[in-house]
Amino acid sequence: MQEKPRSRIITVGGLVVTALGLLNSSLAHAQSESYTAPRLVNTEQPDLNGIWQALNTANWDIRPHAAKPSAIPELLGALHAAPAGPGVIEGGEIPYQAWAAEQQRENFAGRLTRPTDRETNETTGDPEAKCYMPGVPRATYMPFPFQIVQTPAQILIVYEYANATRIVHMDREPGSPVPSWMGWSIGHFEGDTLVVRVTDQVPQTWFDRAGNFHSESLVVTERYTPISPYHLLYEATIEDPDVYMRPWTVSMPLYRRIEENAEIMEFKCVEFAEQFMYEHLLEDSGESP
Amino acid sequence: MRNLLAAGLSLLLSAALVACGRMDGETTAVDAADDASSPAERVNAPSEQMTPWGHPDLQGVYTFATNTPIERPDALADMASFTPAELEALEASALARRRADVHDPAPGQLGSSYNAFWTENETGQLLARTSLITDPENGKLPPLTVNGQAILDAWLADRADRSYGEPPFAQIAYRSWFDLPAYERCVARPMPRIWQAYNHGAQILQTPDHVVLHYESMHDARIIALDDRPPLHEDVRFWNGSSRGRFEGDTLIIETANYANQWMDGGRSGPPIQFPMDNMKITERLRRVDEYTLSYEVTVEDTTIWTRPWTFEMPWVGDDPNYEFPEHLYEFACHEGNFRAIEDTLRGSYGLR
Repeated sequence: MQEKPRSRIITVGGLVVTALGLLNSSLAHAQSESYTAPRLVNTEQPDLNGIWQALNTANWDIRPHAAKPSAIPELLGALHAAPAGPGVIEGGEIPYQAWAAEQQRENFAGRLTRPTDRETNETTGDPEAKCYMPGVPRATYMPFPFQIVQTPAQILIVYEYANATRIVHMDREPGSPVPSWMGWSIGHFEGDTLVVRVTDQVPQTWFDRAGNFHSESLVVTERYTPISPYHLLYEATIEDPDVYMRPWTVSMPLYRRIEENAEIMEFKCVEFAEQFMYEHLLEDSGESP
Repeated sequence: MRNLLAAGLSLLLSAALVACGRMDGETTAVDAADDASSPAERVNAPSEQMTPWGHPDLQGVYTFATNTPIERPDALADMASFTPAELEALEASALARRRADVHDPAPGQLGSSYNAFWTENETGQLLARTSLITDPENGKLPPLTVNGQAILDAWLADRADRSYGEPPFAQIAYRSWFDLPAYERCVARPMPRIWQAYNHGAQILQTPDHVVLHYESMHDARIIALDDRPPLHEDVRFWNGSSRGRFEGDTLIIETANYANQWMDGGRSGPPIQFPMDNMKITERLRRVDEYTLSYEVTVEDTTIWTRPWTFEMPWVGDDPNYEFPEHLYEFACHEGNFRAIEDTLRGSYGLR
């Protein structure tokens, strides 16, 4: 009489142990093995169309971090204070070369440096404060949604932030004409995973508000894997031998925006950056024109 | 092997012809389109006239440059379109001008204007019509309302107050970045996008429930839902407006409202686009007229500015050799490269004042 329930408990317990083991090894693989995304019309590709958004604090700092006050608490009080976060880097650390670790600290200290002339504008301050296009992978985890527009021949990613856009050339490799803020994206599918190699990004973009950075040698390899009808797993491997000692990887889930009639809003932040960037130009520069 | 070689040679020759056409303007647009590549190589060209889900297939890379003016010139008041002979003569003079711009620019010209070398618009330059406006029939914008006229007068008076020197050498001073057109601030292009001299490429992508118009200029992507969703609340305002779309027969119809309460100033293009947009509604109609050409017809309605709606029509050209593939849409990092322009404009204005 008592055998049956016990064996059931054991069975259930075994499943739980197995599931936990899979969770520990890789949440993504456990789920992707059991989940098959719907196909894009008339193709064998998984359909990634939709509005997606990260839900984490990576834009404050992609590394593990404690909560912090804003840069100007005397004006903002607790507004714009940074929430704590466990980080999105596999292993928790960016393998900076020694000089680069120092550069990151300088970047953070000078994050609100207002550009005084064209040279300082090129080299200082958080590009987000100036509403510059965020680059890859930062565009993915800005606290704004983005839309994947997928057709059989190509993919366009439209980010709400700064209305940045990025064409992913699929199964073709046209050459990049010129370095750019959102880089040059060449993609293909490996199984149900969209793999995008992003090259030729300008060196001015940062990974977050903490000043984590890269050089023009940056190569980002992104992987977008559907793991449920409502989730993508996003992984990005960062290679830049001029700045890091070895490649490193960030990963996070992306959540489908399922609100009825969800749509990308317009966030043209240029107009919000102008006073910060240009106000001092209205005054006498002291030079004769 | 011979066939392959011949094909290769033919491709090389075609490429050379296209290159000549680009530099000398001696190859017509039609020649360039024939030579550029076979349809199979054009990832953006429509292979079918319908999508698998039954919508007209409008996808591709297009340009919307033209030399035809928005309004009909006064000198052509009684003439809605050119005769074929007149058009041919005009095109010949435009080609001559273009050739001069590229090979033999007048001294000082390169530094002072966007000449044909800069604009590199190959096709769709001149319509047989003498204006883009098709309604009213006289090819002119309708009369302004009293309110519209008052807004224009105030704008012109303010601009005169900031002018120094005598025309044609008058210079305009800018009190702040707000005096600059939205385009020169790298915030937004005027809507509707009537025509553009450069960065005039756009891409259309379609899914079963959306059409996306992706413009190179200002890297704007208008994602237009095709379902029957309601309009956004009137308090939600965008520089590009909020659009809803539907197909009727072979035509994509896009209705757009909810424009920002901002002045969509068109810079040196002059009126009609120097008006606040917040009451404006536009209806765009996109329809394929041949393998590589769409008709783009737009009706603008704002009864606070114009006494009646007005309509313009022009082609979106799908065989411009400068915009053949999606990779020919370059990143338009306008704001990211604008600090120097604003710095010089505001510093120079301070000096003027």
